[in-house]
Amino acid sequence: MPVIKSKTIGSGEAPSQPNQPSRKGKKAWRKNVDVSEVQHGLVELNEEIIRGGVIKEKASEDLFTVDVKGDSQLAKRSKHVKKTLKADDILAQRSAVPAVSMRKRPSDKTTNGLISAKRQRTGWVSHKELCRLKRVADGQHDNTIDVKDATYDVWDMPAPVQEVDVNDFIPHQEKAKAPKTMKKAPISLLENGKQVAAVQTPSGGYSYNPVFTDYEVRLAEESEKALEVERKRVAAEEADRLKQEAAAKSAAEAEAAEARANMSEWEEDSEWEGFQSGAEDGKLTAKRPERKTQTQRNRIKRRKEEERLAKHKAAVKTQRRQEHRITEIAEEIEERDRNRELILAVESDEEIATDLKEHKLRRKQLGKYKLPEGDLELVLPDELQESLRLLKPEGNLLRDRYRSMLVRGKVESRRHLPFHKLSARKYTEKWTYKDFTI
Amino acid sequence: MPRIKKKGQAGAAKNYVTRNQAIRKLQISLPDFRKLCIWKGIYPREPRSKKKVSKSSTASTTFYFTKDIQYLLHEPLLQKFRDQKVLEKKISRALGRGDVTDAARLEGNASRPEKTGKPRYTLDHVIRERYPTFVDSLRDLDDCLSMLFLFANLPSTSMVPAKMIARCERLVHEFQHYLIVTKSVTKSFLSIKGIYYQANILGEDVLWLVPYRFNQRVVGDVDFRIMGTFIEFYMTLLGFVNFRLYTTLGLKYPPKFDQTKDENAAELGAFTLEGMSLVGAEEHKQLEDATHKPDPKVQAAVNKVLKKLKTTDADEESTDNQVDGEEQDTGAIDKFEPAAPGGDVLPQPSTAGNSPGAMFSDFTFYLSRETPRQSLEFLLKAFGCKRVGWDAVLGDGAFTTNELDPAITHQIVDRPPIQVATEEDADGEDNQTSQKLPANMRVPGRTYIQPQWVWDSANDGELKEAHLYAPGASLPPHLSPFVKQVQGAYDPTISLEEQQPEDEALEAQSDDEDLAVKDIDETVEGMDVDDSEGGEDDDEKDDEFGGFSEDEQEEDEDEDTAEQRQEELEAELTGASVNSKTKSSKAKAKEEALKALTKKARDEAEDLDRAKGMLSKKKRKLYEQMVYTNTKKSTEDQKLRAKRRRFEKEKAKGKGKA
Repeated sequence: MPVIKSKTIGSGEAPSQPNQPSRKGKKAWRKNVDVSEVQHGLVELNEEIIRGGVIKEKASEDLFTVDVKGDSQLAKRSKHVKKTLKADDILAQRSAVPAVSMRKRPSDKTTNGLISAKRQRTGWVSHKELCRLKRVADGQHDNTIDVKDATYDVWDMPAPVQEVDVNDFIPHQEKAKAPKTMKKAPISLLENGKQVAAVQTPSGGYSYNPVFTDYEVRLAEESEKALEVERKRVAAEEADRLKQEAAAKSAAEAEAAEARANMSEWEEDSEWEGFQSGAEDGKLTAKRPERKTQTQRNRIKRRKEEERLAKHKAAVKTQRRQEHRITEIAEEIEERDRNRELILAVESDEEIATDLKEHKLRRKQLGKYKLPEGDLELVLPDELQESLRLLKPEGNLLRDRYRSMLVRGKVESRRHLPFHKLSARKYTEKWTYKDFTI
Repeated sequence: MPRIKKKGQAGAAKNYVTRNQAIRKLQISLPDFRKLCIWKGIYPREPRSKKKVSKSSTASTTFYFTKDIQYLLHEPLLQKFRDQKVLEKKISRALGRGDVTDAARLEGNASRPEKTGKPRYTLDHVIRERYPTFVDSLRDLDDCLSMLFLFANLPSTSMVPAKMIARCERLVHEFQHYLIVTKSVTKSFLSIKGIYYQANILGEDVLWLVPYRFNQRVVGDVDFRIMGTFIEFYMTLLGFVNFRLYTTLGLKYPPKFDQTKDENAAELGAFTLEGMSLVGAEEHKQLEDATHKPDPKVQAAVNKVLKKLKTTDADEESTDNQVDGEEQDTGAIDKFEPAAPGGDVLPQPSTAGNSPGAMFSDFTFYLSRETPRQSLEFLLKAFGCKRVGWDAVLGDGAFTTNELDPAITHQIVDRPPIQVATEEDADGEDNQTSQKLPANMRVPGRTYIQPQWVWDSANDGELKEAHLYAPGASLPPHLSPFVKQVQGAYDPTISLEEQQPEDEALEAQSDDEDLAVKDIDETVEGMDVDDSEGGEDDDEKDDEFGGFSEDEQEEDEDEDTAEQRQEELEAELTGASVNSKTKSSKAKAKEEALKALTKKARDEAEDLDRAKGMLSKKKRKLYEQMVYTNTKKSTEDQKLRAKRRRFEKEKAKGKGKA
């Protein structure tokens, strides 16, 4: 039972057991329990608060005084009691609790310093934010890692002190060591397998104001390359043309054949008019191939055997001839290999390709897609300027850097997908145009 | 009978995993895997036989070392990627339900991990792991710098956020400030792609490429996600490198950065370097002074670094122009000579009094508004210039924006001189009062030069003659400082006497006297472009290049014959034979010298033949190949030298006549 019952306002009755005979049955249900006592107590508490505080919580000094001298006013008070109106009586009972003001209260004055835009709805998410959320859901995070200002020296950090506790029964976890394979250099895409320098040193031909000889060498190189490409293109075009011509020719032939067939049809028609053509007779009289006789079969067999023998003999002959020359051939091959080796040896006296030039790439590509072509970095002779102001820079550095990464084998080349793949749209005919009334 | 081995259980099949297998093992998405590989330095590999390794028949799978992938499992960043994957799923689920606020809350919590008690991830440990020592990181700085300089010059797009660009810019400028303070830039080259710089940092040569301003187009076929990943890594790396470099100099890192100045395009000027000690304010003022006196502490640190460099290696020293500065002046400098007679030409340390690092220190430069300010400012300051002013349109941070400042000693111009009509002179005088000079007006007592002067001077380590680079003058060619000079190769920068071999010199002299220039002319003719090109569509070029050289030759021959005739006439007049006596004595000496030379050559050839006999067949072949290419090259050089000789002679003749 709560202590809300005031001792001052007693009911006047003798204390008794709560009026609840049993805790079983319907009467013990929550809704049927008699809580009038509690409610009564709460009402009283409220009244006490209104009158100026819970009496039980007040100090006795506030409640009682020791009256030492008599009341001087008592004599002056008139004998008859002045009666007031009931309404005034009621109105005079003011609550000790101040009224709650009905005015709109201003919000908290302290803020985070940013003036937030006034919004009607608090849980509002802007469209921009929504787009960003969608992107994040799609896997495009912009803050996977934090790039912060360096505040310490990474290379000058004290080694972490390892505390060896003798009583520690849990085995200390060893930090995983990087495997040796991590140290291996990436696959270079050059034909000779040399590593490529990240930034290659340019020769004089790359100067904005080059020496004529250097420039001429580069121009000749590049133009030769361009010519080669052009030659290939022309050859491909020519091949294409020939193919198309042949196709057209065969198509014409087929057409002619068809036309002939049509003619025969027409001739058939003519038969209807009374003419006779020999074409159909031929069809009817076409001989079936006769069965081969045993002698014929034997003859064929013999001929085939002879042919086989001749072939075999020729093969044996060439082989014998090669056997005679075997030392020579071996020498030839050896010579060729050696020459190639020599050329390679002359070329590859350095392990890193540092010179900026078109290095020969290997044929085998790394990854699924082809390495993109490098830009042509050459100022044409008529555009060659002596002034730095008039220089038109060649090539695109962005692409250059990207390609350099690919050539050095740091990443594999990827295909650029500018758009997502869209599902194929299916067109159907609507039938509404039939729904009309006249 | 041994147990039959199953396929794919041992050997190469175990050493490699395909990309898909790796992704499944790490439980991350493909883009995340790519990122992780880039950061950790794990590259695609190629097994010797793909067939033995892969179970599938697809030819184009990418392989990785199994051990690498196994090691990736220990990577703390992997947890971050997995968290992100979880977050993605949560957000997409919330969005699918239409719970946008819920999605926003989830994302907000994830982006502020401290609130949820989760750690923030950085690449610090990866840097430490990939570059165990500081020198390792310097070796990989080429790529890093090129990428960051490139991104600092890109326009901002959705793929390249402005924040990233600003950060790249800041890091790069801090690095440039280090180079300026230590004067460690050694070479620079204006190419058609961009500007190359080479610096020597703690004995390591670092080369990088900076694009020209406002030139970079963002192209579609470059994968910006991959580039962005590299940039994130490199930004962290350069941050640490800068920190290390600054602290070794006793400077505070990061340097003070003035936002307002930066907004006014001050670039390098937006930074003020501060010393480590708390006295800071004074030093700071000193550094900011127009004279830019290096404070003694910094200087001491620099000296220490330099000393360390010197003790490292003699060869390194020789490659580095900057090293032999300041203190080296007192002692005599050793000359580096090739050990073998046929060795490469070694670059010699300069014996000049002032070091190339302080080449421009006494000058005040003014950049006209058509010049590329960023590169010029950096290069001038890197070579010791303290006072660089420029036109106000080029941005903030100039020493002076007043073109008429009397302190200016050099002005860099890249405009052709305009022929101003005489009528405008009156207007010109009126304009004198204002700051702007009228077109074609020159301030007396000032050297006017084109930008190439700065680069050529910096590369050669000495101030070039300014009149060659005067505005409107046709510039000497800009040579690449990165080309290694080989023994006997033609070098246009040094004089003919220094580079021609003895026999050539003798021959040239005798030719002089015999006036038999013609056969050389013919050889020179042989190398002309038009002959080697031989195409129908090259007619235009013929006219351009081939044309005038032929004209010159004709002139030359005419002159020679004319001179000869004159000499003969003179001889006739004086009544003497044509210098026959003096000539004969001279000729005798020459003949003897020639004989000695040929004998020497013959002896050498014999020696070589004998030595060749000792070689194995393979080595002999290699040697022959070498000799073949060398002679091919040397004949070209010879031709070039002959041409130069002819030109010089002509010039001398012209002078003699005038």
